[in-house]
Amino acid sequence: MSPSKTTGDVRNADLELAGRIRSGDGTAFETLYQQHAPRLYNLAYRMAGTATDADDLLQDIFLLAYRKVSSFRGESSLGTWLYRLAMNHCLDVLRSRQSRQEQQTDSLDEDGAAPPPAAPALGAVSRIDLDRAIGRLPRACRAAFLLHDVEGFGHQEVGTILGISEGTSKSQVHKARLRIRAYLTQPRAVSD
Amino acid sequence: MSCADYNESIADFVDGTLDPARHRALERHVEGCAACRALVADLKSIQAAAFTLDRLELPGHLWNAVQARIPEEGKPSGARLLAFPRTPAAMGWWAAAAALVLATTLGIYTVMRPENPHAGDTAAVASDPADAGDVVASVQAELQAAEEHYDKAIQGLEQIARSESGALDPQVAAVLQKNLSVIDQAIGESRTALQQQPASADAQDSLFDAMRSKVALLQQTVELINEMRKGNQAEAGRLIQGLNQ
Repeated sequence: MSPSKTTGDVRNADLELAGRIRSGDGTAFETLYQQHAPRLYNLAYRMAGTATDADDLLQDIFLLAYRKVSSFRGESSLGTWLYRLAMNHCLDVLRSRQSRQEQQTDSLDEDGAAPPPAAPALGAVSRIDLDRAIGRLPRACRAAFLLHDVEGFGHQEVGTILGISEGTSKSQVHKARLRIRAYLTQPRAVSD
Repeated sequence: MSCADYNESIADFVDGTLDPARHRALERHVEGCAACRALVADLKSIQAAAFTLDRLELPGHLWNAVQARIPEEGKPSGARLLAFPRTPAAMGWWAAAAALVLATTLGIYTVMRPENPHAGDTAAVASDPADAGDVVASVQAELQAAEEHYDKAIQGLEQIARSESGALDPQVAAVLQKNLSVIDQAIGESRTALQQQPASADAQDSLFDAMRSKVALLQQTVELINEMRKGNQAEAGRLIQGLNQ
């Protein structure tokens, strides 16, 4: 199930939980952590690429959430709000890092580039290879792909989380799949 | 139509959002196009694999690490009056603020305490015609002294608030400012009444009450600073609730 379902009851529960956190209720904050940390940890891991970075990112994300919980107004679910905060932080960190590997990847896969040419049939996809391919995606594509295809958010929610339109989310996810396919079907000796 | 024209349809098909008409058109194209057939199959495989990617187990130590860093954060925004001081310089400022407010409280209390014949029992003392003029002058002098203490405290706190403005939550600061404004208005009105009727016990009581309220608010502020410095979230939250009342 998507972590962002927003029925009236869920929204009321989210508002109540956020209110308790605001008032200094430590158990409420722990509840928020228990509900969302496992998925956010995996998201952070796949955005950053290493467990050490994921450890740091997750701590930062929850400290940010603690600091900013008063900005939660219930317009979206607490899960969507938290994912937005998490993705913004991950993207900020990745942007500032400017790793050499990412620059190389971006130079090959700049946004707006034409879809890769037709590739031979892929067959069964190895999850290890898929993880590796995700790590090679440009940040924006990676974020949209992880939220949609891995975490199960709809395009509208992905748009809300990333601050982009629903159409842009569709486009980014499709682009990500095409690039993953191209990566998985290319000869490996060069890059791996 | 070329293969590129089906790009969007393929994306929607993989997502399961392709409408029936475009679905039929895509099916017809794919039947005769091996490249697009392979593309659709691959994208479906990638999507399926993505949904079943291995999940890393959340390390248990991370919650402890988050918890350990919470006191550094102070209260969540919206319930925070003053963030925890982190640097020795900031600690010095808060200590100075606490000392300043405490000194002012003691100063005002000295003037206004009930045993002080010039303050708490002004009406009775003033009933002696021989001393009435001196007593009124004395009380006015002491009130002026109390006001100077009060003004000094406010100036000091304002200076600190300016230098620590980043740590002051706007919402709680607004509540404090509102409370201060109400009290300041009461003090102003009482002072006007006292100028018009210097011997009026009611006017004096009114001014004393307003100033006591001011002292109480400053005391609450000091307590809040102390509780936040100790990391006592529950007590700090209670004090903030008190400020909102």
